[in-house]
Amino acid sequence: MPRIKSTNFTRLLFFIVLGVALFLLGNRVDELRVYQGATLAMYVIAISSIILLTGYSGQVSLGHGAMLAIGGYAAALSHEHLGLPIWICFSIAVLAAAAAGAVLGTAAARLSGPYLAGTTLALAVGLPSIANQFPILGGEQGLLFDVGAPPARLGADFTQYKWYFWIAALAALIAIWWLQNILRSRYGRTWRAVRGNEVAAELAGIHIGKSKTLAFTVSSGLAGLAGGVLAMTISTVSPSAFPLSLSFSLLTGAVLAGVSTLSGVIIGALTLVATPEIADAISRRLGNSENVTTNLPGLLVSALLILVVLLVPNGPVEQWRKFRARSLHEVTHR
Amino acid sequence: MFGLNRGRLLVATAVLATSGLTLSAMPAQALSPHQEVGVSSTEIKLGVTLPMTGTASPGYNKVPSAMKAYFDYVNANGGVGGKKITLVVKDDQYVPTLAVAKTNELILKDKVFALLAPLGTANNKAVAAAVNPGRRGVPVLFVNTGYSGFANKKLFPTTFSLLPSYIVEAKIMAQYLKENFSDKKIGLLYQDDDFGDDALAGFKQAGLNFAVKVPYASGSQGVAGVPATWITKLSAAGAEVVVLFGVSSATGAALATAAGMKFAPKWVLGSVGGDATTIKALGVPAGVLYNATGASFLPATTDTTDEYIKLFQDINTNYNKGAVFDNNVLVGMNTAFVTVQALKAAGPNLTRKSLITAIEKKGATFASAGLTPLMFSATSHVGYAGYWFGTYGPTGDLKPNGGTYTMYTTDSAAGAVVKSTYSRPAMPAKGLPN
Repeated sequence: MPRIKSTNFTRLLFFIVLGVALFLLGNRVDELRVYQGATLAMYVIAISSIILLTGYSGQVSLGHGAMLAIGGYAAALSHEHLGLPIWICFSIAVLAAAAAGAVLGTAAARLSGPYLAGTTLALAVGLPSIANQFPILGGEQGLLFDVGAPPARLGADFTQYKWYFWIAALAALIAIWWLQNILRSRYGRTWRAVRGNEVAAELAGIHIGKSKTLAFTVSSGLAGLAGGVLAMTISTVSPSAFPLSLSFSLLTGAVLAGVSTLSGVIIGALTLVATPEIADAISRRLGNSENVTTNLPGLLVSALLILVVLLVPNGPVEQWRKFRARSLHEVTHR
Repeated sequence: MFGLNRGRLLVATAVLATSGLTLSAMPAQALSPHQEVGVSSTEIKLGVTLPMTGTASPGYNKVPSAMKAYFDYVNANGGVGGKKITLVVKDDQYVPTLAVAKTNELILKDKVFALLAPLGTANNKAVAAAVNPGRRGVPVLFVNTGYSGFANKKLFPTTFSLLPSYIVEAKIMAQYLKENFSDKKIGLLYQDDDFGDDALAGFKQAGLNFAVKVPYASGSQGVAGVPATWITKLSAAGAEVVVLFGVSSATGAALATAAGMKFAPKWVLGSVGGDATTIKALGVPAGVLYNATGASFLPATTDTTDEYIKLFQDINTNYNKGAVFDNNVLVGMNTAFVTVQALKAAGPNLTRKSLITAIEKKGATFASAGLTPLMFSATSHVGYAGYWFGTYGPTGDLKPNGGTYTMYTTDSAAGAVVKSTYSRPAMPAKGLPN
């Protein structure tokens, strides 16, 4: 197959084309889909942060929801108390979560496997309840994070959710484009080397601890951005916006996406957005019982996670690649 | 990742194109320009979000079926201008982020005409910020919260409430406490959010000082060991009278834990969590409630001499599978009753705008089971303005002190608490508003 050479320029071009496609799509669909699109963009950022951490640097986090929470709160606080423009609030969200990630990452670099999983899990359980200890964080009720109405020049028909979608999609496009470049750089190669074989990587002159800490920091920064976007789409941050189930959903999304490659991230995000819809449709058929409606989404996500781990452990995208490689192999060796 | 060979480019384009087609194939809105959203020739669709499951749900999860029961009764008697009222119920588990998601579904997916009786201060605030029904012109009829902030018509132009504000309730309760327990040490348990803060503002306005104030985080009543810390604090401060200003589950948890710890002050229950059936269902023996003080703006649920109570009990038997008739059922039916009047008052060309105008213009004349007048006007979107006090009997039923409803009314500002002289007009025939 003739290959278009993947250069920085062609990748940038691809993202610009994707952006235009999303822009056109956003004008075609109704407001509910636009809102789901914004949520989708948030998931894309959050899941890619887990893929970077787990797939590329080989560390596990069961508590990335906590990093989203730090980002969300940082954005809301800087917006409420300093009145900063939205893009600066998002930058602060990234920096705050990255700073927290650097601290946690230093500890994480010394831990591995179940110990790291346990530590991050504890963080996700404990961190949101800090909001109840300091009045400035607004307690259980949380803080409002209102990014405001869309600019008037976009017209009276331009809805609030389309505005959220624009911001979220732009954030996701920039984040993924940047992440992709990072992964192709020296740092990306270093992370992969460490994931592949720590001893070999060390012999090659790579500082394992520093490399892992850096991955944790970058991943947390991305999660912080996702937290800011999440806070925007629901206009509020509160402990209940970052439940433990969010951390698990993100991890599930990453597994569905195929944790070792970024290209499946959209599959993971789509699944997370579609699950409540599917659950809703099923529970309607089952007579709309509250118990079914409440518990079905979690059940579906968990079942999907188990199925993916059993059937396509590396994710559907990786599986597809292998399948194609095998059939190509068969063709050429016949 | 997006290594751009032609094959992948093709796949990516195909995915984009298919998703685009699928998404755009879903109909945006198949409505004729003159038909209001959520109103058809046969149906008026309303939607409610409230906790149907979860820590805060006990009691409140009975409200939707009660509202539905009254609507079914009206539907069976010709509906509103021949249109049947349907109610879509969504469970938000008392979690603001879920309330936002569920309200989005109601407005964008189910395309309801108006929101009805969404419950919870924090939830309604989150919804107002994120979904912004005001900007969308979607009426929010009769929020089930007494947060005084919702009276701000500029911020919440389409929101109406029936409940008196928590400031009103606290001011009236403060006067009652001063009159009856001026020499006692009074303690307060309140929910640590805008709901509780509103009550604190009312108590402060009335100049009532507490010996001890115990805040609780919403939801923490369900955490093992937490209610015991409240009781320890109240009892350590020597509180002889304790005011409970929380949701039903927190009120029940406080009473049950206190009974277990042999702490028995004089209890004064706020209207939000004061429903005896719910408290009993949470495992509190009726005897614990005995002699506690409660407040309400509707007739007592056991008062069968009241024509509204009699009607609602009949409807409850025939349309609500004979659910236990408690204050939640009563509040639900009364809310539905006022809603039907508002819909009828809006006239044959029902629109969101005409509904809001109708309540502003005619709301003050609406009949209802309430024992104070409704205060709706072009400048006020708040309904009732007062409370009567009663005592819980041995079986847990709230009966008015002295055998008659003595209503006290006031406002959310510096106005005095006064005894009301209002006498409620007769109920429309068969309980069907004209």
